[in-house]
Amino acid sequence: MNEPSKATEEGLSRRSLLRRGGALAVTAGAAAALAGCENTTTPVGADGGGGGGKGILGDPTAGGPVDSAGIPLARKDYPVVMPRIGDPVASSAKPERGGELQIYNYADYLNPEVLKAFGKQEGVSVRVTTFDTLDEAFSKLSTGRLQFDVIFSTPDQLSRLIGRHLVQPLNFELVPNLQKNVWPELHSPFYDVGPRYSVPYTVYTTGIAWRNDLLGFDPSKMDQPWDAFWSPQAEKYRGKVAILDDSREGPGMALMRRGVTNLNTEEPELLGQAGADLKDLSKRVGVKVSIADYETVPAGRVLLHQAWSGDMIAGVLSYMPKGVKPDVLSYWYQKQGGPIFNDIMTVAANAAKPVIAHRFLNYLLDNKVSYENFTGYVGYQTPLTAIDAQKLFDDGVVPKTLNQAVVTHEAYANGNAYLTLSAEGLQLWDKTWASFRNG
Amino acid sequence: MGSRWIWRALAIPGLVWLALFFVVAFYAIVSVGLGNVTTLYEPVPHWNPLDWNVGYIWAALKSVVPGGDTWDTFLRTVIYVVVAVGLSLAIAYPVAWYAARHAGRWRGLILVLLVLPFWISYLMRMFAWTNLLADGGYATRVLHALSIDSLFQSIGLLDGNDWLGGQHIAVILALVYGYVPYLILPLFVALDRIDQRMIEAARDLGASAAGAFWRVVVPLSKVGTLAGIVLIALPMFGDYYTPDLISGSPKTAMLGNAINGYVQGGPDKSLGAALTLLLSAFLFVFMLYYLRVLRKENAA
Repeated sequence: MNEPSKATEEGLSRRSLLRRGGALAVTAGAAAALAGCENTTTPVGADGGGGGGKGILGDPTAGGPVDSAGIPLARKDYPVVMPRIGDPVASSAKPERGGELQIYNYADYLNPEVLKAFGKQEGVSVRVTTFDTLDEAFSKLSTGRLQFDVIFSTPDQLSRLIGRHLVQPLNFELVPNLQKNVWPELHSPFYDVGPRYSVPYTVYTTGIAWRNDLLGFDPSKMDQPWDAFWSPQAEKYRGKVAILDDSREGPGMALMRRGVTNLNTEEPELLGQAGADLKDLSKRVGVKVSIADYETVPAGRVLLHQAWSGDMIAGVLSYMPKGVKPDVLSYWYQKQGGPIFNDIMTVAANAAKPVIAHRFLNYLLDNKVSYENFTGYVGYQTPLTAIDAQKLFDDGVVPKTLNQAVVTHEAYANGNAYLTLSAEGLQLWDKTWASFRNG
Repeated sequence: MGSRWIWRALAIPGLVWLALFFVVAFYAIVSVGLGNVTTLYEPVPHWNPLDWNVGYIWAALKSVVPGGDTWDTFLRTVIYVVVAVGLSLAIAYPVAWYAARHAGRWRGLILVLLVLPFWISYLMRMFAWTNLLADGGYATRVLHALSIDSLFQSIGLLDGNDWLGGQHIAVILALVYGYVPYLILPLFVALDRIDQRMIEAARDLGASAAGAFWRVVVPLSKVGTLAGIVLIALPMFGDYYTPDLISGSPKTAMLGNAINGYVQGGPDKSLGAALTLLLSAFLFVFMLYYLRVLRKENAA
């Protein structure tokens, strides 16, 4: 492994990047190219905000550019080892006793029963604080005033969490279930080679959910199903069409509709088109913006929704109104190049209970616990080899109409993902989204 | 001599409160709006006025003029607030007038009823409407039974038949519903204070009922009316949860939603702070007008 020097300075400040980047960029790049597959985490030519240019491996979407933390942009064909900032807890460290384990996560994204059982086992109380969006989570965390033990996030957030010293390296001897139970392709993922900071939590796709009993057409039968939202048929359902409230998913959907395959593009023209398409959606169907798809679609308040696969299974598990059969829900996703990814769990840099936090990560990757968390409440599939999501459908727990909500190894391999962007790229995406979102 | 200082000391808690929670907080917004950002796009407040950077104010200013990113939102916000304040006045004035002058023995009961909405939080009252106005909700069914939905559709006030599907009219009515109690109370006080003999004198001197109202009651209640309008218009301008709950569509986003969007997520917190400052400056103009009226009244 092309181990970088430990980043010990106070943050990856712009100035230190400039100093180091200039000197090291050439050698680091050359070394990486020679090594063929290992990528260094020494910031490459960071001028404070990424920049274009071909990647070290000749892939225009990877390599050269770095994100706002000065860490190279990880891509499937460009795995990145995250810089190690701080030391992991020792394997011999004793679990902390008593008090509260503090967790920062989305709402309704952990089974309360599972939390209770963990608290009982470890003799702590477990407290979950929730956020609505990852941006909100990052801005609140980066004030440094919040203290958590476990932080839930996504891989594209990882580098800035590290850059801002918000997460700590993990000791995987305390998380043996990663090797034991998790899908092999996630043992050392490209976004965190090693791994160093993260373990996977759930896997999901982004697709289209609709009420097959109330929507007069079948989006999956269209040549380009993403076009369903812009179609004349959808105009009949004004006010009952929604997309996800997410600065990546929204523009991403508009990109896929136009056949763009790179979901991490930073081309201003492409994003300009995506922004215009989103605004057009407001005009055509008065589109709503929401992440409550798990509730509004079962309730029939929204009939056509850009949706996360897990939300539809959660909808079946917990949100079907009385008298409505779950097979009225349908789900489609783009098999080649559609968004598919996993969420991650990390331990906060300032965790008061780092050992218990490790044990919590390990606990959630236990086969039985994970299954209970998935099918008992959350609805998001966990990438554990022993968990056969297909069986849920065969057993009739979840209707066949949602068959595509299962995430398979094959889909994971063929899928696309929203990954870390350069600072300018991130701002471009956010501007595109804000300009639509503000009407 | 000594007693004068005691009275002055009574102002201290209020002044400290204001200094801590308004002046300091507001100065923080100023420092962020006139500050800069790190490479991680985290705002760096510039506390020293000599370091102020007007870039974000300039960007915010460019976004709220015609053709700018936030122009539509700005215009929509102004229209919503003006219409909502107008409707609120149309509802609140007669109610306050009746309660102040004609309620008789019902006066106490009516006052209690007017205060009743304050017992339940604004947010809860809005949440109630999201159920009432949903498909098959009680309010939706009543509106349908009375053909109000088709009436609104035919005059173009309702687009489709979903009240919660991004309707301007629903957001405006929700604003009126939410804020009208705050207008009724100051109006009630203003109208209650008018000396009955003034109106009688006007009638004795030959004014018609309408004339007496227009030339005596309206001018005498002007300050109270303005105070009430200020009281509801200012929070309406900053409101973002009402459109979020009642519509959730970008079509009905208000300036508060834009600020919330910038501040909660994404790399443009400084722009959010700058927009907040612009909004404050805009509202300050109204405040100046109110203060001027107040001063003229007091001088008279």
